[in-house]
Amino acid sequence: MSLMNVWKNWASRLSVMTYKEILQFLRDPILMLILVYAFILGVRNAGTSVSMQIEHAPIAFIDNDRSNTSREVIYSFQEPWFSPYGVISGPREGQRLLDSGKVMAVLDIPPQFEESLMRGDPESIQLQLDTSNSSIAEIVEGYASQVMAPLGQTFGLKSLGISSSSSSLPPGIIDAHRIWFNPNVLDSWFQSVCQLIQVITMLALLLPAAAMVREKERGTIEQLTVSPLSPLQIILPKVISMTLAIIIGCCLSLFIVIGPMFHVPMKGSLLLFFVITAIYVFSMTGIGVFIASISRNLAQVGLLSIMLLTPMIYLSGKFTPPEAMPGALLAVMYIQPTYYYLNIVFGILLKGAGVQILWLQILIMIALGSVIFIAAMRRFKRQMG
Amino acid sequence: MATASVLNGDGSALPIRVSEFGKSYGKVVAVREASLDVVKGEMYGLIGPDGAGKSTLMKSIAGVLAYDAGSIEVFGQKVDSEESAELIKSRIGLMPQGLGLNLSPDLSIEENIDYFARVRLVPPSELEARKDRFLKMTRLDSFRNRPMKNLSGGMKQKLGLICSLIHLPELIILDEPTTGVDPVSRRDFWAILSELSRAEGMTALISTAYMEEALRFDRVSLMHEGRFLASGTPEELVGLVPGTMVELRCPNQIEALGVLREYYAQVEPRGEWVRLLADTADRDKAKSEAISFLPPDLQPTEVRTWDPDLEDVFIALLRQREQTEGEATSAAGTVETYAALPEEQMERTAIEAMELTRIFGSFTAVDHVTFQVKQGEIFGLLGANGAGKSTCIKMLTGILPPSSGEGQVSGADMRFAGQEIKERIGYVSQAFSLYIDLTVLENIMLYAGIYGVPKDLRPERAEWVLNVAGLSGRGDAKVASLPMGLRQRLSLGCALVHQPSTLFLDEPTSGVDPVGRRQFWDILYRLSRVHNVAILFTTHYMSEAESCDHIVLMFAGRVVADAPPESLEDNIENQVGHLLEFRTSDPPNALGLVTSIFPEALAYGSRIRLISSDPTGDEQRIREILTEHGIQVLSVTPKPISMEEVFVHTVTSLERESEKAKGAA
Amino acid sequence: MNGRRIIAVASKEIREVARDKLFAVLAFVLPSFLMLLLGVCLSMDVENIPIAIVDNDNTPESRDFTSRFSSSRYFNLVSIAYDDRELDPLLKNNVIRAVIIIPAHFGKNINKGRPAPIQTLLDGTYTSRAQITKGYISSIIASMNGNLLAQYISRIKGIPLDRAQIAVRPVSVDSRYLYNPSIKSVLGLAPRLLVLILYMVPPLLTGLGVVREKETGSIFNVYASTLTRGEYLIGKLIPYVGIAFLNAIVLLLIALLVFGAPFKGSMLFFLVSTLAYVVSTCCLGLMISTLMTTQAAAMIFTAIVTQITAVNFSGVMVPVGSLSPGGQKIAHLFPCMFYTRIIEGTFLKGTGTAQLWLNVLILVIFSIVLFTISYLQFHKRTNA
Repeated sequence: MSLMNVWKNWASRLSVMTYKEILQFLRDPILMLILVYAFILGVRNAGTSVSMQIEHAPIAFIDNDRSNTSREVIYSFQEPWFSPYGVISGPREGQRLLDSGKVMAVLDIPPQFEESLMRGDPESIQLQLDTSNSSIAEIVEGYASQVMAPLGQTFGLKSLGISSSSSSLPPGIIDAHRIWFNPNVLDSWFQSVCQLIQVITMLALLLPAAAMVREKERGTIEQLTVSPLSPLQIILPKVISMTLAIIIGCCLSLFIVIGPMFHVPMKGSLLLFFVITAIYVFSMTGIGVFIASISRNLAQVGLLSIMLLTPMIYLSGKFTPPEAMPGALLAVMYIQPTYYYLNIVFGILLKGAGVQILWLQILIMIALGSVIFIAAMRRFKRQMG
Repeated sequence: MATASVLNGDGSALPIRVSEFGKSYGKVVAVREASLDVVKGEMYGLIGPDGAGKSTLMKSIAGVLAYDAGSIEVFGQKVDSEESAELIKSRIGLMPQGLGLNLSPDLSIEENIDYFARVRLVPPSELEARKDRFLKMTRLDSFRNRPMKNLSGGMKQKLGLICSLIHLPELIILDEPTTGVDPVSRRDFWAILSELSRAEGMTALISTAYMEEALRFDRVSLMHEGRFLASGTPEELVGLVPGTMVELRCPNQIEALGVLREYYAQVEPRGEWVRLLADTADRDKAKSEAISFLPPDLQPTEVRTWDPDLEDVFIALLRQREQTEGEATSAAGTVETYAALPEEQMERTAIEAMELTRIFGSFTAVDHVTFQVKQGEIFGLLGANGAGKSTCIKMLTGILPPSSGEGQVSGADMRFAGQEIKERIGYVSQAFSLYIDLTVLENIMLYAGIYGVPKDLRPERAEWVLNVAGLSGRGDAKVASLPMGLRQRLSLGCALVHQPSTLFLDEPTSGVDPVGRRQFWDILYRLSRVHNVAILFTTHYMSEAESCDHIVLMFAGRVVADAPPESLEDNIENQVGHLLEFRTSDPPNALGLVTSIFPEALAYGSRIRLISSDPTGDEQRIREILTEHGIQVLSVTPKPISMEEVFVHTVTSLERESEKAKGAA
Repeated sequence: MNGRRIIAVASKEIREVARDKLFAVLAFVLPSFLMLLLGVCLSMDVENIPIAIVDNDNTPESRDFTSRFSSSRYFNLVSIAYDDRELDPLLKNNVIRAVIIIPAHFGKNINKGRPAPIQTLLDGTYTSRAQITKGYISSIIASMNGNLLAQYISRIKGIPLDRAQIAVRPVSVDSRYLYNPSIKSVLGLAPRLLVLILYMVPPLLTGLGVVREKETGSIFNVYASTLTRGEYLIGKLIPYVGIAFLNAIVLLLIALLVFGAPFKGSMLFFLVSTLAYVVSTCCLGLMISTLMTTQAAAMIFTAIVTQITAVNFSGVMVPVGSLSPGGQKIAHLFPCMFYTRIIEGTFLKGTGTAQLWLNVLILVIFSIVLFTISYLQFHKRTNA
């Protein structure tokens, strides 16, 4: 047989097997439903409802001064940062509100607040913060400082007889900040794309793992092992068809939800996005195949998948940036492809970056993916005998 | 037929009363107009192929399946809703279909039994006694702590039986309990069941795809495509088709077959014989008539006649029905064209195993197995569940590397040329393993692609496979909707798609109906005789074993017999004697008396069978002891030794030897 | 309802779990593994934000400004460049989060009391990170501006600089950190992780129990037996509730001993409500198991649904209060949020039972509703 024929045979086997996988996938209505749910509703829900920015922090006030100044202070705590709960009777009620989680902070204005400010004395306002979620508390604290700083300055200058609007005051440094890539800091952009990445990651691992174990459980794998198919010809069609399904899911997500609903700019090349996604899905399916090869049943597949998926999702950089990671976890972060994939996807969709900028991350992702895929293939080959 | 009395003899309600029962799944009608009465203490058989509606009927009677038409009463209780079904469950036991599927694979024998007992609230004090008794009876006693998944198929089914019986139900419903179980275990199974039902006065409704098992029931109903073909005692059913089976040994079997098919509706090859059903009960007439149809050059060298057995009757009944109702069951087609082997390979050895051995840990699954299969030969590999047949096949097909030894398949060394072997063979595995969510045609096209059939040839080849498998016109049917018989034919079709010169068939007919099996065999026969394909075949149907050209019998990983079926039968006859069948006026008591002098004697429905080395003397002794106790002997018939007896005798005597050896060690 | 039959089903299920070694090990190892992993990787406070500064001025003033960033623990000054074109790839590759461009004449403008504009470019991709970064940059600029203003006032009013400082910033915000005085985020996070983990793992354990029996056909034993539907489902549930509850105790110990989280409330109340929570999450798995026909679908469905909702709508990562109104409605559809309240109350706040019992009641209602759906879905006499 000539080399050409060998190749033709190989390709033809691959294509019939891939066709079979696609048919089987199309015949599983529940799976299709899950896919549509995850790619459309899941992404939509995340985009419309989740915000990582802290806004509307409920705050209550204790006014021991009852002066114009104290009222001015209270009036300054406004939306969107704060959601004023109102003036309350005293510390005891404050404690109760904090305990029950009805407010996140209580601002306690001391007596003679106005008087001492007019005298030009320094004054302090007590801010009681619920720090059970400390990072949020710190942000709220920052907001309070930012509200109080200019207000205090006005009072202070007034005590010296200077109007804060006086043009003679030195203007100082003026920060003309510009936010790139997401000028209005829309959470929907970040959340929807992150959700898409999470869905891709999970399905890319779970779908082929489930398909493999199903062949094991139904006994159809036996018929395939007796046939002249090589292990690669058994695995690849699954990978190809699942990749295809996920790419189609991505299209649904991008062109029904992320684009039309959230107006994510999709600046870069969509072709590059799909190619990168296909490569990423390939490496994730490698992990799925690996899991399937060590599992006896689907329950094991489920648990093992979560065991591997959770670090991938939580160490992707979505939640905690690499600079905040302790050394060992940082190493894990850097050896798993999701981290690079997340960077690349945002690079393409939001930042309009191309290969000339992202090439290194792309190369690393491909290298990691290939290692995973090859390792999984070797394991599968060994198992098939 | 039993009269449709509403009550048992003692005035209590009938265990089962079904009238005008009907059930459809979507558009597919599973059962229609089925009526059935089972009397207390009766062993009632439902016989028919997979997909005939047996399971549907049984599940509905057990109250676990809703139905559309008719009524079911169990012990006088109408079973027509989830609530009413609950009322009968304490009095019944159900063993669903599938080898050990209702048991927990990871739990031990004892744990499985305990679970069933606890769910049924069997008092612990009684449980121990009952468990001991059942375990002893099933000879599972010494494996109490073995996980179920490590049991052989036969053991699994015996365990399943114990589990369904542990609460001593008044009615037990067993759905194909013996499918996929070897003859020895099957024989055990029936012995236990009949003993228990007698001892406990239990009523049993049992389905089976093995026609030969029908004789063990008090009454049976033959089912086909959701209808009852006939009901009655086995004798009554056999009486429905008066006729004679004629077997002829002709010089050119395939031509004789062709000639005789023009005169008889039921003609089939069996080993080197041609077997046909003549519609006259006069044996001499049947014989001479058959001979007279054959031209001089095909005159038989040997002719023998038998009474038709239930399988022949079943097929005859089916044929009659088709003629009266014009309803055609899809028949398998013929294999007209096939890739021809090169002339020089026509006589070669297609499969050769040389000292093949496979060791799993400390367990030797296959122990220095040697055999040869020539091109054109149908080769039967027999053995009990777990004897090493499947392991052998796995090694030869290249799925499993041998621990030692070597083998050749289609002229290629299996150690080095795994890939070439895989391309040259066809394989049908034990369990159905095509894709049930794809259509028939999609499966065929898939395997055509996998086996490298050129793209432009594929549609034509698919048409050919559809024709061979008798699935023409059903190409677009989802495999999930096909009955087992058709599925297995599809498996064979898919295995033939690249027209291999060697076929490995591992229990391909398990659970397939007689018609389906005969059609399956027709294809195999043509493949081997006309196209010179070598076929290695395993089966638990001993009637199929008879049709093989050559048999290798395995026991505990070793080859213990290697000969054509007839010489195996002759051997047994020479060694141990003839088979006698007794009909008596009081079967339950007669069996007790006979087994007191012949422990190996077995109940065969209402009859007793035993192998005797001195037929006249033994017959005399039995007649004496029975008449002494006032039991009449109605008839004594000598029966031919069949592969069933060969198998059971060989395996049980080897088992006894190895037990002895163990005991001595 | 017969207790012995329930025990029979439950003990068989426990045995099967125990025999499936990998599954049994994972059932106990996975929650702890997730706890340790997430406890470490999610509790890291935002520090060392990588930024770059383009200094086009290069004067003492600009260098002073720059040094305020390089000395801040919040920032990690990755590069000081003199050409902003170098920085585009760094931003696009997510190497830096922000660029501060100091234009020429920055020093001169400050000294002359003229407006001294600078430009900050923020990567808005990671929205919350962008907000935090912006906040930190603003506060550094504000404090520098305060100094400039104080110097000016001290000069024109002839008052001492420290007096002028007070006038510029007379009101200080004195924060009192309730519940977590050391404001280490892990102290609050570790307990909340119980919510997440006890929501991700138990449904997966329970979710295949019934559908597996349906797929293999062994369910017919149940159908044909005297087991009632309720007995069977409860028997199936008990082992996994047990495993989940044991896991909850292990997680509690990890939170207290490894992460040093405080526990101020009533332990008894906590245990009772945790039991209610794991029952509800196990019931979720049970419901999926009775609804699905194949194990694969049940497994994927459970994984997707729990993972997606756990992260976004549990109140663990994002307070439910900062979800959109629609998002808050979604959060009410899952039991997590209510358990989050209980966790926060019992661990850090020491909130009394009186204020929290309603949440437990809701968890119980969740369990009842989910179990009822399972019960109504599961029939001993089927149609096919």
